[in-house]
Amino acid sequence: VIEKNPLREGLRLPVVPDPCALVIFGASGDLTRRKLFPAIYSLAARSLLPERFAVVGVARTEETDAEFKARMKDAVREFGRDKLDERVWRRLASGMHYLGADIAGGDGEDELLDLLAELDRGRGTAGNRVFYLAVPPAAFSILVEKLGRRRNEWSGWTRLIVEKPFGYDRASARALNEEITAYFEEGEIYRIDHYLGKETVQNLLALRFANGIFEPIWNRQFVDHVEITVAESIGIEGRASFYERAGAVRDVFQNHLLQLLALTAMEPPVDFTADSVRNEKVKVLRAMHTPGAKHVVRGQYGPGWIEGKPVLGYRQEPGVARDSKTETFVAAKLYVDNWRWADTPFYVRVGKRLAKRETTIAIQFQAAPHPPFLKEAAEGLRPTVLVVHVQPDEGVSLAIGAKVPGQGMMIRTVLMDFLYGGAFRIELPEAYERLILDCLLGDATLFTRADEVDEQWALVDAIVSGWSRDRPVFPNYDAGTWGPTVADQLIRRDGREWRRR
Amino acid sequence: VAASLKDTTVDEIELRLDALDPHAESDQRTNVLTHMAWVPPEWSRAAGRVLKGLGPRIPSRTLMLHPDPKAGADRLDAELEHECFPEAGHDLCAEVVHLRLLGRTAKAPASIVVPLQLPDLPVFLRWRGKPPFGKPEFEQLVGVADRLIVDSDEWPGLPRAYQHLSEVFDRIAVSDLAWVRTLRWRAGLAELWPGIRAARVLHVTGPSAEAFLLAGWLRSRLRRKITLRRRNATSVTEIEVDGTRVEPARLPFASGSDLLSEQLELHVRDPVYEAAVRAV
Repeated sequence: VIEKNPLREGLRLPVVPDPCALVIFGASGDLTRRKLFPAIYSLAARSLLPERFAVVGVARTEETDAEFKARMKDAVREFGRDKLDERVWRRLASGMHYLGADIAGGDGEDELLDLLAELDRGRGTAGNRVFYLAVPPAAFSILVEKLGRRRNEWSGWTRLIVEKPFGYDRASARALNEEITAYFEEGEIYRIDHYLGKETVQNLLALRFANGIFEPIWNRQFVDHVEITVAESIGIEGRASFYERAGAVRDVFQNHLLQLLALTAMEPPVDFTADSVRNEKVKVLRAMHTPGAKHVVRGQYGPGWIEGKPVLGYRQEPGVARDSKTETFVAAKLYVDNWRWADTPFYVRVGKRLAKRETTIAIQFQAAPHPPFLKEAAEGLRPTVLVVHVQPDEGVSLAIGAKVPGQGMMIRTVLMDFLYGGAFRIELPEAYERLILDCLLGDATLFTRADEVDEQWALVDAIVSGWSRDRPVFPNYDAGTWGPTVADQLIRRDGREWRRR
Repeated sequence: VAASLKDTTVDEIELRLDALDPHAESDQRTNVLTHMAWVPPEWSRAAGRVLKGLGPRIPSRTLMLHPDPKAGADRLDAELEHECFPEAGHDLCAEVVHLRLLGRTAKAPASIVVPLQLPDLPVFLRWRGKPPFGKPEFEQLVGVADRLIVDSDEWPGLPRAYQHLSEVFDRIAVSDLAWVRTLRWRAGLAELWPGIRAARVLHVTGPSAEAFLLAGWLRSRLRRKITLRRRNATSVTEIEVDGTRVEPARLPFASGSDLLSEQLELHVRDPVYEAAVRAV
């Protein structure tokens, strides 16, 4: 029997991961520069990384350790949320290495494994490895196979972070999953969807399950419909080769949007462990359907104006085919066929070059059954809506009716706002910070499991199967608007409107 | 300073607070607690520094109580501050009310602060210096707060004062900043388990509060008699257990404001601390 250490009880220490080496494949890429390294630095600045820690950047480009460090230091300065502290940087940089090697096409893995073994000996990384696949999907399989075949060459634990997109459709996602699980256990695979690392997405769970007042009315009896918007004002930002093939449905709808929907609609988990939360999400994803082709619409932006500046149409973007049929906007009516949500529509939309950047989940409650006021008294009164603002202006607001001061009884909509930054005046951590730390700690709660990905693709496959036969008339919305008119028609057919913002 | 009120009433202060309307100048929309601080004159400057350091971190109403029981008249003066923090990214503002309790008013602080506390939110009481255990001002304020925050490093008469402190544990949750400062050393000592099970002598180079608390903690956790030997220093710089040197855990530096801010997030009793105090 191991005696429990009584001195550990009540010690409020930050949880620090085991010693390990983090290997980033795709170290010369934009994701590493803009997101991963600033996040790693922020973790280091908060002493949340293990003392014995190393980062190995791997890419085909030739670069020395010193050049890699200098480039990442610039990245932290440019994109980090913390001011660069030389002491913190020196400590982090002392464990940074770069390997210019072709692993997918050559035999660079020998060099990599030698370097990692050397770090185990010299830096004490204890044979624990995190492999971050920040590379194009085409390279996933070969990297996984090359690492997988050699995994008995190190002794500690192994974790594999896989960036989206996980597959192109259900069949390819299943094939990729089979390739990975040939070498790695499901518990070792961390499929990243950075939306799940956002504080406000997690706050949705706190809002629902830490407050007794919402859960009793969070169902078909009280909710008229749910509206989820993931709107971006930016275009494709030079990612034409990826976007032409993916479109909005694979870029955002299949992952971010369906995950937001699952978190909104799921049943309370028995606890907040990875499997409990993911079990509940997958039940929602499994219960989801769209009532037919006319309830899914798509669009593509033409030229327009964003924040007073003219912008190109999608087909004029560099690298995009002049007759491209790729959608940059999708709206759909979805149903979750279960006891809680039967017949309650979920209107969802995602798009690029929309009027503003905004991700919101709006729960619109049913109108009061019999307001005892004159009809004119409540003109201008909108339905009660609870809105979770995921980004920007993270927070929650509740639109309710209130009496206008003065004689008589006039009722107007007022907004009660909880602004995240107003209540907790600390800067919200970046999603990647949270997710990288969780992975180092072995907590997969905020990562998607294979069965979730599978269900998400099943729905997307059902949606896109009809598109190959269509001849959409694109572009069908101007950049800087809220999307094509067919999206408005989609919701108006049901006597409803998209939320006014 | 938004308002300076001489010989005023609580009603008048409430009216002026309502008129401040934080929404008009900022996008602050939420308060999470009432922060009261008992600040005798000798602690005024230090308290001001910590309050400034707290800055925009904890959205709260702060009631700074400045007692002056020796003043000739029984009177309440108040200053209302509406401090904004543009550097916080939002135009965030906080309300700070300085209450000068003159004459016998200093003996009845609860009657003044209760109407000014934010409803339905926790109340934290920071007591600068050694609390006058058993005296009306202390007993009253403990009765209207949820958590008492002290720094036993500020107290003369240790370790005896810990006996008095332990008597309030069943009435209010207590944080002691001296205890919080020992965290990195406690983590280091915990690393010595299981060898430390048989510890006999603890050597601490540091202030008396931290040394007493560390010794009390080891006694209560290990359930054995441990002798404390101490060399004075302004902060803990070295610890040895039976001649074995202890390495402190690597934790980020925390200022006085950081320590206070952290305690303002806590709501439950700390049984490990309470046991340590009882075993001092």
